[in-house]
Amino acid sequence: MIKLSISFLITIIAILLVVLFIFMVYLLVQRQRESHFENARDRYIQNYSQLWYDYLFNKEHFSMVLVPRGRAQVEAIELIFSSYLKNIINEKVQCDIKQFSNQYLKKFYEKDLLSKRWSIRMNALYRIADLQIDELLIMCQEFEKTKISEEEYFQLLKIYSIFQSNLFMEKIKMPIVSYSESEYRRLFVLLEDDVFIRFFDDFNSWPANIQFAVIDTAPVKRNMQYIDQLKKLLSHDVAEINIRALKGLYEMGVIDEIESYIPFVTSDMWEARLMVAKVFKHVPLTYSYSYLEQLLQDENWWVRSQAAKTIVEDRYGIAKLQQFIESSNDQYAIEMAQEIAARKEENK
Amino acid sequence: MKIIDYGMLLFGGIILFYMLFVIVSYCAMFIIAMLDLRKSYRLDPSEYDDAHIDAFYSKPVSLLVPAYNEEVGVVDTVYSLLNLRYPQTEIIIINDGSTDQTLQTVIEHFQMKPISKIVRTNIPTKQIKQIYESEIYKNCILVDKENGGKADALNVGINVSQYPYFCSIDGDSILDEKSLLRVMKPIILSDGEVIAAGGNIRIANGAKMQYGSIYETQLPTNYLVIMQVIEYLRAFLMGRIALSKFNLVLIISGAFSVFSKKWAVEAGGYSTNIIGEDMELVVTIHRLIKEKKEKKRIEFVPDPVCWTEAPQTLGVLRNQRRRWHQGLFESLWKHKKMTLNPRYGKIGFISFPYFWLVECLGPIVELGGYIYIVIAFFLGKIYYEIALILLLLFVIYGVIFSIAAILFESWSMNTYPKKRELLRMILLAFTEIFWYRPLTLFWRCEGLIRFLLRKSDWGNMKRVGIAEKEKSQ
Repeated sequence: MIKLSISFLITIIAILLVVLFIFMVYLLVQRQRESHFENARDRYIQNYSQLWYDYLFNKEHFSMVLVPRGRAQVEAIELIFSSYLKNIINEKVQCDIKQFSNQYLKKFYEKDLLSKRWSIRMNALYRIADLQIDELLIMCQEFEKTKISEEEYFQLLKIYSIFQSNLFMEKIKMPIVSYSESEYRRLFVLLEDDVFIRFFDDFNSWPANIQFAVIDTAPVKRNMQYIDQLKKLLSHDVAEINIRALKGLYEMGVIDEIESYIPFVTSDMWEARLMVAKVFKHVPLTYSYSYLEQLLQDENWWVRSQAAKTIVEDRYGIAKLQQFIESSNDQYAIEMAQEIAARKEENK
Repeated sequence: MKIIDYGMLLFGGIILFYMLFVIVSYCAMFIIAMLDLRKSYRLDPSEYDDAHIDAFYSKPVSLLVPAYNEEVGVVDTVYSLLNLRYPQTEIIIINDGSTDQTLQTVIEHFQMKPISKIVRTNIPTKQIKQIYESEIYKNCILVDKENGGKADALNVGINVSQYPYFCSIDGDSILDEKSLLRVMKPIILSDGEVIAAGGNIRIANGAKMQYGSIYETQLPTNYLVIMQVIEYLRAFLMGRIALSKFNLVLIISGAFSVFSKKWAVEAGGYSTNIIGEDMELVVTIHRLIKEKKEKKRIEFVPDPVCWTEAPQTLGVLRNQRRRWHQGLFESLWKHKKMTLNPRYGKIGFISFPYFWLVECLGPIVELGGYIYIVIAFFLGKIYYEIALILLLLFVIYGVIFSIAAILFESWSMNTYPKKRELLRMILLAFTEIFWYRPLTLFWRCEGLIRFLLRKSDWGNMKRVGIAEKEKSQ
C-alpha cells in the first residue's frame, strides 16, 4: 500500500509539474501577446493623438485613419477619450465623442456584452456610460433580462439614468437589489434636477439608504430649490434624517432664518448639536452667539470644539472667545476656547 | 525495539495525517482565491478609482505612522502618504521616544512647528510630550511621546485623530498611490458593514523609488529576500483571500490596515502587553462583533499594495519570525475560549481551529517531519518508505504550491514582469524545502518556546532603507 502511495504521489507531483509547466508556457506566450497589443495601442496614440486633438478642438475634418482597426486601437481611443472627458468640460467635444463612439465603437461593445467573462461585460458597460453610446440602450435592456450580477445591474441603472431618466425612476422603484449609499449617490448625481427632485415628493416611501443618499446629493447639485426640501426634513421623525438634512443645509451654505435650527441646540443627539454648531458658521455671530456659547459648554467634546471653531471664524470671534474665557467657570469649555483661539492666532 | 517501531509508526502517521490535512486545506483556499481573482481579471479598475476620488463618495481617513528609530525610512513613508490619491486624509506621525534622529529628521524635513492641541483620551496611553504641525502640509501632524511601544504609539495616534477611520502604516512602508482608495472600497460599498480592511503586503527590497513612489519593481538579488517574496505571495493566495471571503480573517497586517475608530476604541485600542498587536485588535473586534451580535465584517483586499522592507540577514529574519509566532500564540491563547465555542460562530469553529492547528502548532509537526526523515535515514527498514512519502508531501506543500502561487500571481497581477525574474523565482522555489522552510520552522518553534517562557522584547528591525540609491534627500 505504501509503495502504491509513493508511486501515486510521484504521479501526482509529475502531473502537477507538467500542468504548471504548461501554465508557465501559456503565461510567457500571453505576455508576448500583451506586449504586441500594448505596442500597437501605444503606436496608435503616438500617431493619431494630434489628429484627434485637431478634430475635437480645432474643428478640423474627420479623417478615416482614426477609425479603429482592432482591439488595440479601440483601447487607444478609449484612453484618448477618457483623458478628455475627465479633464475638460466641453459640450461640443462630448458630442463629437458620443457621435464617434455610436458610429465606430458600438459594435465592439455589443460583442463584449455577449462575452462569457464578467469583467469584459463590465468594461463594456463602463464604456457605454462613459462614452454615452445611447444606440446600445435597447441592447442593454435585453441584456438586463439575462442572468446578470448586482454590479452589472448597477451599471445598467447608471446607463438608464444618463439616457432615459423615466426608465431609471421606474427601475429604482423596484427594489430588486439594494446598493450602498455611496453607490446611490453615484447614480443620483448624474440626474437632471427635474428628475432628482421627484425623490422628495414621496420621500418616506424610499428605503433608508436611498433617503440618505438623496439628502447627501442635494447640496452637491447646488440648486436653491433643495433648501426648502431639506428644511422640511428637519421636522422628520428619524433623527438620522434630521442630522443629514442639517449637514446638507450647512453644505448649501445659505441660512435664511435660524428659528428652524434652534431646537437642535438642545437636541438629545450630540451629532445634531454638532451639525447645528456647523450651520451657525453661515449665520452672523450677533444672531447665533448665545446658542454657540451654550454649545461651547456642551458635554460632548466634538460639539464644544465645533462651537469654538464656528465662533472663531467670525471677525469678532477671538474677542468673543477671550470674553468667554474670562467670564466662564467651565474648565473644559475654557480649555477648548483657549486652544481654538491660540490656533487661530498662530495661523494668522 | 518494538516500542521504537510503534513510536515511529505513530509519529509518522500523525505527521502524514497532518500534512494531508494542510495540503487539502491549502488546495481549497487556493481554488477559492483563483476563482475570486479570475472574476476580476482584466476588469478596468480605473472606473471605481476615478469615481471615488471625490470626497463626496468616500470617507476621511487618519493615517497613523508609528515610528521608533525609523530615521532611514520615515521620510519616504510620509512622502508616499502625501502622494496618495485620496480626497481627505490627515497624516499623524507618532515618534515613540526614538533614540536616533527620527524626530529631528521629520521636524526638519516637513518644517514642523509646535502647536497647542487638546487631545481626547479615548484610550489611556503614555504621555505626549509635544504635538507639531507641518508648515508645508497642514494635514501633517507629528506627535512626540514617551516610549511605550508600537501599540501605545498607535493608540496615541487614535486619540489625536479626528476622522472616523484610521489607517496604520509602518514607518518603513510605502503605499501605492491608489492603495488607500482601494482598501477603503469594501468599507464604502458596504455602508460601514465592513469595519476593518487590510491590504496586500509586498516586499520592496530592490524596487526603485523616489519621493515615496515605487516607479519600478525589481526582484531583489538576495536569495533570502526572494524566498520571502515567494512566501508572501503564497500566504496571500493560500489564506487571506479565501478566509476573507467567509469573514474568517484573524490577521490583517499592521503594516497597512484600516479600522473604524469607533470599533477600535470600543475594543480598547491596540494591546500594549502583547506582541502581535495587529492580530490582537482584529481578534478582539471579531469577539466584540459576536458578543454584540452585530452584522459586521473584516476583510482582506488583494488589490491595494503596501511595499515593505524585508529582512536581508538570517539574524534579523529569525528575530522577526520568532516574534510573529510568539504574537500569534499569545493572541490565540488569550482568546482560547473562542475556540470551538458556538457563541463565536464560524470564527470559533473554523478560524480558531485552523489557526491553532495549521498556523500555530503546524511548525512543531512539520519540524517533526524533518526530524523523522533524518531518523529514518539512520533506522532504515520500512521507515525509508514513510520518510519518502513525507518528503513527497513536503514537495507538494513547499514546491508545487509555491510555483503555483508565483505563476498565478504573475497571471493576475504581474508584479515582476520580466521573464528572467519569473524563472528565477520558480527555480528558487524548488530549493525551499531544503533550507528556507526548515529554518523558518525552527524559528517559529523558538517563538513558541519564548511564549511558554514568557520572554518578550521589542526587536525593532534594523533598517537599511527600501531603496538606498534613490533615497529622498
